[in-house]
Amino acid sequence: MADSPLQPATIEALRADFRARVAFARTDADLKALHDEFLSRKAGSVTGLLKQLGTLAPDVRRQTGALVNELKAEIESSLEERRSALSASRPPADAVDVTLPGRDLPLGRIHPLMRVRHEIEDIFTRMGYEILEGPEVEDDFHNFEALNMPPDHPARDMQDTLYLQTPIIGGIWGAHRRASLGGQPPDAQVRAATLLRTHTSAMQIRYMQTFKPPVRIIVPGRVYRRDNLDLTHTPMFQQFEGLVVDEGITLADLKGTLEAMVQALFGDTARVRLRPSFFPYTEPSAEVDISCQGCGGSGCAICKHTGWLEILGSGMVHPAVLEAVGYDPERVSGFAFGTGIERIAMLKYRVDDIRLFYENDLRFLEQFPA
Amino acid sequence: MKVLLSWLREFVDVRESAEEIARVMSLRGFAVEGLEKVGDDSVIDFEVTGNRPDCMSIVGMAREVATAFELAGKLPDNRRPGSARSDTASAGGITITLENPDLCPLYAGGLADVTVAPSPEWMQARLKAGGVRPISNIVDVTNYVLLELGQPMHAFDAAKLEKNEIRVRTAREGERMRTLDGQERTLTGDMLVIADGVRPVGIAGVMGGGDSEVTDSTRSIVLESAYFNPLSIRRTSRRLALKTEASTRFERGTDRMMPAQALLRACELLEQIGAAKQRGTVIAGSVSDIAPVVLTLRRRRVAALLGIEVPDHEVSRILASLGFAVAAAADGWSITVPPRRVDVSREEDLIEEVARHHGFDRIPGRFPSLRQPPAAVDPRIARARQLRSVMTGAGFSEANSFGFIAESAAVPFAGDEGIVAIANPLSENFAVLRPSLLPGLADAVAYNRHRQQRDVRLFEIGARFSRKEGEQRVIAAIWAGAVGDDHWAGGTRPVDFFDMKGVAERIAATIGVDTRAEPVGLVPPQSRSIGGEPAVSWLVPGRAAALIENGTTIGYVGQLARDVAERHGLAPGDAVYVTEINLDAADALAATRSTRVEPLPRFPSVARDISILVDESLPAAAIRETIRDAAPPTLVGVREFDRYKGKGVPEGKVSLSLRLTFRSPDRTLTDAEVQKAMDDVLAALRSRHDAVQR
Repeated sequence: MADSPLQPATIEALRADFRARVAFARTDADLKALHDEFLSRKAGSVTGLLKQLGTLAPDVRRQTGALVNELKAEIESSLEERRSALSASRPPADAVDVTLPGRDLPLGRIHPLMRVRHEIEDIFTRMGYEILEGPEVEDDFHNFEALNMPPDHPARDMQDTLYLQTPIIGGIWGAHRRASLGGQPPDAQVRAATLLRTHTSAMQIRYMQTFKPPVRIIVPGRVYRRDNLDLTHTPMFQQFEGLVVDEGITLADLKGTLEAMVQALFGDTARVRLRPSFFPYTEPSAEVDISCQGCGGSGCAICKHTGWLEILGSGMVHPAVLEAVGYDPERVSGFAFGTGIERIAMLKYRVDDIRLFYENDLRFLEQFPA
Repeated sequence: MKVLLSWLREFVDVRESAEEIARVMSLRGFAVEGLEKVGDDSVIDFEVTGNRPDCMSIVGMAREVATAFELAGKLPDNRRPGSARSDTASAGGITITLENPDLCPLYAGGLADVTVAPSPEWMQARLKAGGVRPISNIVDVTNYVLLELGQPMHAFDAAKLEKNEIRVRTAREGERMRTLDGQERTLTGDMLVIADGVRPVGIAGVMGGGDSEVTDSTRSIVLESAYFNPLSIRRTSRRLALKTEASTRFERGTDRMMPAQALLRACELLEQIGAAKQRGTVIAGSVSDIAPVVLTLRRRRVAALLGIEVPDHEVSRILASLGFAVAAAADGWSITVPPRRVDVSREEDLIEEVARHHGFDRIPGRFPSLRQPPAAVDPRIARARQLRSVMTGAGFSEANSFGFIAESAAVPFAGDEGIVAIANPLSENFAVLRPSLLPGLADAVAYNRHRQQRDVRLFEIGARFSRKEGEQRVIAAIWAGAVGDDHWAGGTRPVDFFDMKGVAERIAATIGVDTRAEPVGLVPPQSRSIGGEPAVSWLVPGRAAALIENGTTIGYVGQLARDVAERHGLAPGDAVYVTEINLDAADALAATRSTRVEPLPRFPSVARDISILVDESLPAAAIRETIRDAAPPTLVGVREFDRYKGKGVPEGKVSLSLRLTFRSPDRTLTDAEVQKAMDDVLAALRSRHDAVQR
């Protein structure tokens, strides 16, 4: 009897063998094969054991019979369990291949210059500024004369101007403020525009001629210069202009404001440096540098090893400008600043050719997040 | 201004390195454009802003360096001008006459016998470092003085001066002369010239004449050192489009105290290098009657503008070092401005000088306080942002194109009449202001097409210009290629009119206007509500609509005319759809509207479908109009849901299926009521359009 397959160890070996193989059954055919091997009436190994039970002594037979029957029951339920598990994970007739590509919902991109513009507008809105746009065609008075650049002033050479052959009416601005003024703002429309504005500063004059201080505005918009197209110049570009006029405004206020703007745009570690300069409509005037975004200020090729990058022009509003709009420079003072949005976008996005902003190449535009 | 370090050190004992001088001066208002080593010497190229002609010289920069480094400069002091002289003066056989003392109040002439030869090497080296080409000892000395003192000078060949005379006068209208550069110039009556007894020998302050030029055979010279009215020089220089080292300085304003001193320096140099022997000087005119500018500088004003207190001694040190005469006054100082400082005319200019040399880095950063609630954002800006998110959501990317285009590109959009031309354009491609944003967008589509982009959707928000309408804010969009990508499950098809019309309607909804589309350029159909809009030359007839609200056309939608598309480099047969909507006009319409909530319907609606056969050419809008006229007020919606031509539909006819929705605000409609309404509708369609129910 020692060699009989009805030894408990043999039964357990059979159980272990079944358990190991049922786990790998992947198809109904696998399960059928397992069933046949263990339980088929003719050749199943467990069926074989059951058939041999009669050869055992009655007391051993009961014990062994229980063991074999228990194995049989386990195999049956295990096969059934596996069968239903397999059928549950089998794709239904209307299943889809989820790895195929989804239908494209086209998504356009906002132009990178507009992204920067929105960011600047948001920064200054948080600081309590009014954001508004002005006309792109202007007259000589608002673009030059009232900004302390009378006819024949040498500073007019600093901005080579494009003139119109015949005067036209300029765009309207500030329509939303009409109600508060009880009618049309006096300077709301350029009646005879003779030139393309060379800077957004023209709006300083229109705004101050219309509204009393305190003034706190940002004017973004397109401006035009007679510059040829190259890596860093375009005959049209976008600027934004800031103007604050109130009692007690100082150069220190300008510095603090610019620091806040630069840190909001470029991160908390960005630093600001003011350098004396010259603009006819500010006095004192300052060029504003930021710590180089390429090297953090230690010096690299981007900043020509100075650690600083020039980003905007600024200064205290020239008293002649305040007088031109009927403000009293003894009572109020102010600061103004302005810069090219392209310049900031080039620094922020590391764009080295300004023309990319004007080619409208989708391969460029689609590199920006939606 | 190129400054040779060793030359600078002749006037200020600055020990610091060229690099340190460059760094410090760049923070004092003189940006450094370059720093070059020349042997054991250095050349620092300072950018001198237009308001500081006094710094376009070694001496001028030395004064700034001395102030910045708190050193005593060894600067030549301006001689006090003598008592008033007459406008005519003679000496050494030369007579100088000032005919226009307002344009030239002072003219110093120096007479010398000369031997023309190359100048010594040291002088040539200094000129080269300053960016000036050596010519001859005489010319080199005038240029040397120009660089050192900032006074432009000129040397005439005395033998070439007719009647031994110099007359400073305005030119005769149409008078001609040949300038040093070989150009023949025609002069006008307001240009100041230096003339001899007969003809002009130089354009004052701009360029000398070729005929009186110093040559190898010149034996005696007249040296000119004068002060000219800046505005006069500027106008002449601009009119002749002739810019020189001299005109650049004179037009910005030279030091009127300098001419006599510069003349002495030139004579001294000529003798020093053995080039000449002086024969005396003639000085005509005077500037002594021009009173110096005296300004009051208030202590509190300094603090009020800068936001910091600058110590009194610092204020006086800076201003005195820069050559201002400083005297104490009641609440600050009384400051006399040296005439060379043409940029200083107000108290603020003095405060800038103080701030500049006290150091902008000492100004703390503060933040201005708000005293009033900030105004609302310009709704145009808010609206543009909203449009950007709607358009990008519809798959359109934002383009940014130039405001000027070629005239030929503008003509289809504006006609010849409406085009706004630029008087001084950069090039033919930038000759006129854009009458529409679409030429730029068409260029952008072509650009992308040539880079293997099949589907291009772009929009732009910006200004367009016309002579009649002026500047207007518009949004334009363009769509070329397909709708939907090449998906494995299909679904892609070429873009058509209705895709673009959908975009235009979305734009209208976003900006709050309710437009209807009317065909343009077609014979008006028999309908009360549909007018005949004139054709627009940039859209394909039959695939073009005007967008109209309240009788105002606010925009167009349609297929871009093929000749226009091809002109912008698009392939023939490439159907491109466009829209352009006037945002300013929409603003005016939307301003009258406000949002009010309607109560939600309390009773169910009933929908009925009808299919009719009508003439193919009958606009859907006319059918809708007939239905609305015939139906009771309970009709709340009409929508075309099928349009079919082909098998079963006679030639020239179309089968149109519409869904009519009825609802009453106060009861549930009965079947009979709705049926009656449908019968009325059908009868009207039959009688008005010969419609046949299918």
